[in-house]
Amino acid sequence: MSTPAISVRGLSKSYRLFGRRSQLQTLKSALLKRELRPDPESSVQALRGLTFDVARGEAFGVIGRNGSGKSTLLKIISGILKPTEGLVSVNGRVSALIELGAGFHPEISGRENIYINGIMLGLSRKEIDRRFDRIVEFSGIGEFLDQPVKTYSSGMYVRLGFAVAVHVDPEILLIDEVLSVGDEEFSQKCIAKIQEMKARGATLIFVTHQLALVKELCDRAVWIERGAMAAIGDPARVIDAYLQEVAGHHLVAAGDVPIAMSGSGSDAPAPREEPAEKDPLEEERWGSGEVLITDVSLRDDRGRQLVALGGRSPVTIRMQVTAREPQTDFVFGVAIYHGDGTCVYGTNTEIEGWRPAKIEGDGTVDFAMPALDLVAGGYRLDVAVHTKNGRAFDYRRGAIRFVVGSGIHDVGIYRPPHDWSFLGGIELELTQSSGRRDVPPEIEKTLRELDDSDESD
Amino acid sequence: MLASILKLARHRQLITTLTSRDLKARYRGSVLGYFWSLANPLMLLGVYTLVFTRFFPRPDISPYALFLFAGILPWIFFSGAVMESTAAISGNSGLIKKVMFPAEALPIVVVLSHLVHFALAMPVLLAAFGVAFATGKVPFHPVMIFVPVLMLLEALFVAGVALAVSSASVLFRDLRDLVQNLLQLGFFLTPVIYSIERIPSQLMRTVLRLNPMTPFVIAFQDIFFFGRPPALVDVVLMALYALGSLALGFVVFDRLRDTLAEAI
Repeated sequence: MSTPAISVRGLSKSYRLFGRRSQLQTLKSALLKRELRPDPESSVQALRGLTFDVARGEAFGVIGRNGSGKSTLLKIISGILKPTEGLVSVNGRVSALIELGAGFHPEISGRENIYINGIMLGLSRKEIDRRFDRIVEFSGIGEFLDQPVKTYSSGMYVRLGFAVAVHVDPEILLIDEVLSVGDEEFSQKCIAKIQEMKARGATLIFVTHQLALVKELCDRAVWIERGAMAAIGDPARVIDAYLQEVAGHHLVAAGDVPIAMSGSGSDAPAPREEPAEKDPLEEERWGSGEVLITDVSLRDDRGRQLVALGGRSPVTIRMQVTAREPQTDFVFGVAIYHGDGTCVYGTNTEIEGWRPAKIEGDGTVDFAMPALDLVAGGYRLDVAVHTKNGRAFDYRRGAIRFVVGSGIHDVGIYRPPHDWSFLGGIELELTQSSGRRDVPPEIEKTLRELDDSDESD
Repeated sequence: MLASILKLARHRQLITTLTSRDLKARYRGSVLGYFWSLANPLMLLGVYTLVFTRFFPRPDISPYALFLFAGILPWIFFSGAVMESTAAISGNSGLIKKVMFPAEALPIVVVLSHLVHFALAMPVLLAAFGVAFATGKVPFHPVMIFVPVLMLLEALFVAGVALAVSSASVLFRDLRDLVQNLLQLGFFLTPVIYSIERIPSQLMRTVLRLNPMTPFVIAFQDIFFFGRPPALVDVVLMALYALGSLALGFVVFDRLRDTLAEAI
């Protein structure tokens, strides 16, 4: 990877408290000493010692509670605020969506405001001319274009602001909690636009409380707690660590079977490095541990454990579950990923309308599929048990890696059940007798071996 | 300072756009619209003419309305722009806090939009001068074609003050009221309603001379009332004030720049 799009080194930020009496003092010291660092008694530390890089083309989420310093971080990256200590270097044209339509003038028309806003965001008049129609279309303000902006509804205002900001075509886009405004349809449109920009290689920094959005859009995330980095890395894990903390639980070291809730209550936790992509073959596991998934296996229709399977064979995902404490709020989830990281399928009991009553002691969860219908390749299985709001009791990423074998070299991920038939003057002949079989010989062999050394459950 | 000027030059499109937005927004919704830019000075002239010919005739300076009008236009430019610049940045907190925005553009926009109003008042002044000249009350001197240079010099001077005032008033809010009162005092310490030559005390004349607005006002009176070129010393002073003010304005602004987004 070349130079990172954004590089933050030892960033700290203190805000002065601007008391009435100290005003003149502040002015004097700023003028005479050029001293920007405030004395500690009259300042609040908003950020302390942040260090991280954001690679080009990466989507980077920033999460944390209100007042944790997320927006300050974004404002420093965008150059609106200056760091008190440390260095921030930004490589590329930045557009910041901190407040949409911040530069709009209420008395003049939407048309004129598009130009003014565009110029403020660094476009030239000609560049705006070229984008004008696209901006208007995206904003959907239609016939209001030539009305003064003060007559707009707040939704229209925000839509126009977003439309201008994204059409600047920034290399780096900073977004601060702006997608929650506007109606559902528009916010979907925004997300689609953001994904399009990401696909074109733009770097995204994303401050939001919508954790699902971070999970969906971001490659990495950082959790900021009282101005310090609490965790950084894989979004799912950072979000979970955050949810655990919000729920009042101490962090449990990821990796081994979690030993719950006897954590040390240190005040400022050192940032935990949450590896974005560990050894891809190694299972990652986290959660608070009240409920544990002690064992996961793939079984065929006769209950035999599978390591490799054919696309057409029936498969059951079996989880052995132990509840250390009885729970009434729990959701079981499974997800299958292709080796390249694409999510093939994911679901959970909540989505499918299973209302949890209780879990107590040990139990078994079976997720049965008549056929996987997958194309040959390496796959990964994630299983989890978590609360309805997503806080993990036990999350096992890559609990099982499995290979789907096939004698047919078709491509893709999903193999819909299908048949060829030819009518009229078309004549074809099936050559390979094994071609129509789903289970290739080597897997047949493995299955037979398993059959022989059958240890039933 | 050079870097700051280059930065402003880079943002010239932004500055011109904002200035025209300012001008557009100012009269948007009013019936007469842009006509007010012309009507305002015209009415001002009308009021002066009425008051000083009917109520308080000033036979010592005649025609007094023209004398007053010539001197008050550069003063209004100065005081209007400086007063408005106290809120130029603090009144646009959205831009400073939420957008990457060159804050120095804001006081410059204020100065430019006042300069436009100043320029729009010039036809009225010229017409008033024309009437007085045609009736043989005042002489004409061709130096009048240099009036735009004079306005430009004053604009530079005002820009420097506006840069300093706009940024300092973010950190020190009391500046707004302070400036307002100082401008009141300044009005009387500038020879607008009286002629400096008629001040009996040598000391007072020296004090008035120290006021940087004095040469600008006197130069306008020289050209439009006395029909003579401004004194060389006044021209030199104006150039010095313009450069000095600009330099000082940029120094102050540069020092406060980083604190603006926080303090606002």
